[in-house]
Amino acid sequence: MFHNLFNFKNPTGAIGLNKRNLTLIYPNNERQFYHLADDKIKTKETLHLHGIACAKTYSVITQIREIKHKWNDCKHYQALAIKPANGCGGDGIKIIKKDKSGQWKNGNTLFSEAMIFQHITAIISGMFSMGSTDSCLIEECIIPHPFFSEIYGDGVPDFRIITLKGKPLMGMLRMPTSKSDGKANLHQKGVGIGINMEQGTLTQVYDGKKYLHHHPDNPNIIVGKKIPFWEKMYQLAIDTANVFPLDFMGIDIVLDMHKGPQIMEVNVRPGLGIQLVNRCGLESVVNKHYPAYFQQIKHTISL
Amino acid sequence: MKKRINFKNTVILFTLISLVSLVNKGVQVGKYYDSFYTDTMFDISYQFFFKTTEDNTSIKTFIPKNNDRQRISAYKYRGTIDMQQKAFANNIKAIWTTNTPNIHESLEYQFTFEGKEKIYSIPETFITYDSVTAENYLLETKNIQSDHPRITVIIDSLKKYATTDRQLMRGIYDIALAIPEAPIITLSDALTVLDQKYASCNGKTRLLIALSRNAGIPARMKGGLILEETSKRTSHSWAEVFINGNWIPFDALNDHFGYIPANYMELYEGDQALITHTKGMTLNYNYTINEKVNIPFLRLSASQFSDISPISLWELVDNKTISTHALTLLLMLPLGGLLVAFLRNVVGLQTFGVFLPVLIAFSLVETGYFTGILLFIFLILLVGLISRPFQRLGLLHTPKLVVSLTLMVLIMIFGSYIGLRYNMLWLTSLTLFPTIILTVSAERFSTLIVEDGFEKATGTLFQTLIAVTVCYTMLSSQYMSFVIILFPEILFVIIVIALLLGRYIGLRWTELLRFKPLLFSKNSAHVS
Repeated sequence: MFHNLFNFKNPTGAIGLNKRNLTLIYPNNERQFYHLADDKIKTKETLHLHGIACAKTYSVITQIREIKHKWNDCKHYQALAIKPANGCGGDGIKIIKKDKSGQWKNGNTLFSEAMIFQHITAIISGMFSMGSTDSCLIEECIIPHPFFSEIYGDGVPDFRIITLKGKPLMGMLRMPTSKSDGKANLHQKGVGIGINMEQGTLTQVYDGKKYLHHHPDNPNIIVGKKIPFWEKMYQLAIDTANVFPLDFMGIDIVLDMHKGPQIMEVNVRPGLGIQLVNRCGLESVVNKHYPAYFQQIKHTISL
Repeated sequence: MKKRINFKNTVILFTLISLVSLVNKGVQVGKYYDSFYTDTMFDISYQFFFKTTEDNTSIKTFIPKNNDRQRISAYKYRGTIDMQQKAFANNIKAIWTTNTPNIHESLEYQFTFEGKEKIYSIPETFITYDSVTAENYLLETKNIQSDHPRITVIIDSLKKYATTDRQLMRGIYDIALAIPEAPIITLSDALTVLDQKYASCNGKTRLLIALSRNAGIPARMKGGLILEETSKRTSHSWAEVFINGNWIPFDALNDHFGYIPANYMELYEGDQALITHTKGMTLNYNYTINEKVNIPFLRLSASQFSDISPISLWELVDNKTISTHALTLLLMLPLGGLLVAFLRNVVGLQTFGVFLPVLIAFSLVETGYFTGILLFIFLILLVGLISRPFQRLGLLHTPKLVVSLTLMVLIMIFGSYIGLRYNMLWLTSLTLFPTIILTVSAERFSTLIVEDGFEKATGTLFQTLIAVTVCYTMLSSQYMSFVIILFPEILFVIIVIALLLGRYIGLRWTELLRFKPLLFSKNSAHVS
């Protein structure tokens, strides 16, 4: 049919939302399996089942009356992450740690047990999932690898790797900045750092407007910087892609100081900003790995 | 993988269905194309009931003529007495005469009226006419005492302030307009109106004409009926002033300055009575007027149309089974949805929901565009602002929504109250339908503020307003609604376009901006 209403140059094959949906998501991900990625608890069940490295699940709370006794099983840990199973944009995630006197703290502020209960109740009532009730996930707290503090010290950075039919296509490192309030999302003023997939090195920083050779809060050049455990991380992405019945995914990986790469979550509708971060369109990368991919797709869905 | 329905065949099938049906109907309907483009259509019936006198009895009344803004058709006469038509000056009179004494008669004269409104622009300077070319349109008559000193005094004082002829005309008009309205049955001439300080349409018109003629501007009286869905006995009169070669209407009772509404039926010129009859006879009369649904560009009635097309929606409208408004709303919804789909998938606008912009546009049709848009923005911001403290209370989602909705309703009730109290009609223009739509939009907006932050939510609001404006432009077009009532097959075309749109894989226009560094790589941002 009609592919472009205008003819313009698209040398690297940048893919828009329409093309992503029609040629990558719909033919590769069946709707009945979306919940495996959308619901963090189901994601973790799948990961645990196949022994794929991810933060250990301490507890899953689905009902308010369970809070008290499930919390009793968790309170002996030194650090915890409390998350809504269906939250979005990192809302409702609280990282709490015990201080020397055994008091729970969120950052530098005291987080009493009553406040913890209140937060869990809020998650279960659906405060972070827009209306519908939700479940609360309590899991192991990730301690970011010291590699990150060489670039920027605060918050939890993560890697995003996009896979198609089990092959990693493109990756980026998302880092918080002094303006992003601890969040690593590009549209929340975090930055994206492009990755050379063959060599496992960083290429350039993209802050949403311009390209830089360094993190905006740190003048040290990051170009060519080697990512620790890259091969392991690459393999982890492949393994993860293979255990989910979803053929096009955005896999989020964190790098723990002690345990190395860990799966954080998976996405069925990965964002397209990664193309900007890597200065490369997805189409050309797909063509590199699967030369006949788009021809075949066009044929099957008769575009 | 599930078996796919062949896409091309589906598209071809729907295209064929719609094309065959549309072309077939279009060719036949095309024969009835009408370039008159009427705004309104009425069926009018003159009804006379009377008892004849001992001698000859006659009744005379004016009947309408065609001109550039009114068209009369489908005459029908029922009665035992012959009806004669005679031209008197520029008017046509219907005359019924009988010499049968003391009988009861009833007669009915029916016709269809199609009318257009007409707006005239009044030039600043008027050509002056001498008494020969102006015929008797500058002359004093018994009831229009244009040469009377009192009239001259008024014109002299007006001339002191008026720098152009248009201003003078405005001054004359304003004097007639300012006189309070009263239903006066007895004949009131121009001077009486000045004395009484109140007047009927006739009185006001006579005063206006007297003043114009005194100022040297030819003027005449015009009589007719204001058509509305009713049965009535009252006729109407207004003035026509001869300005630079055109007779321009001025109605100082209903405040139409150089404008004639579509539902004014012109019957006669001059200071005349609409009905004249033999003295001593008893006469009862009535004008029964029915508004008809008309298709402005077709000279075809609903029943004729159903002969062409077996399934006709127009008949539903004509029989008042369903209101035009409701039917248009229903049929336009897919069209609006398609527009929004285009704006979202091809242009790349982000809007609140898919059908919400269409529904908001529908609300605007009720409130008026600018009032509606302003109210919309104001209410959404206000509710967003007021509900902010409630957001901070950490309430659960649904109860929090109820608070927002209640606030919205309270603000609207308050607005309507103020509007009624201080006679600001636009404040009371919010009916149930727009209220619900506004509330839903406000809710989406505040949800978006929570999810994406104020800046992004405002951006989406702005883009929604763009989509609303596009939809409004289409929905408010009268022609569009008639076309779709005549050709509901267009819905098949919508399916075809939506199918094609559903397979559009090009970049959205907004993505051209977003991916600029990738698309125009030669001059892409340099790495610093």
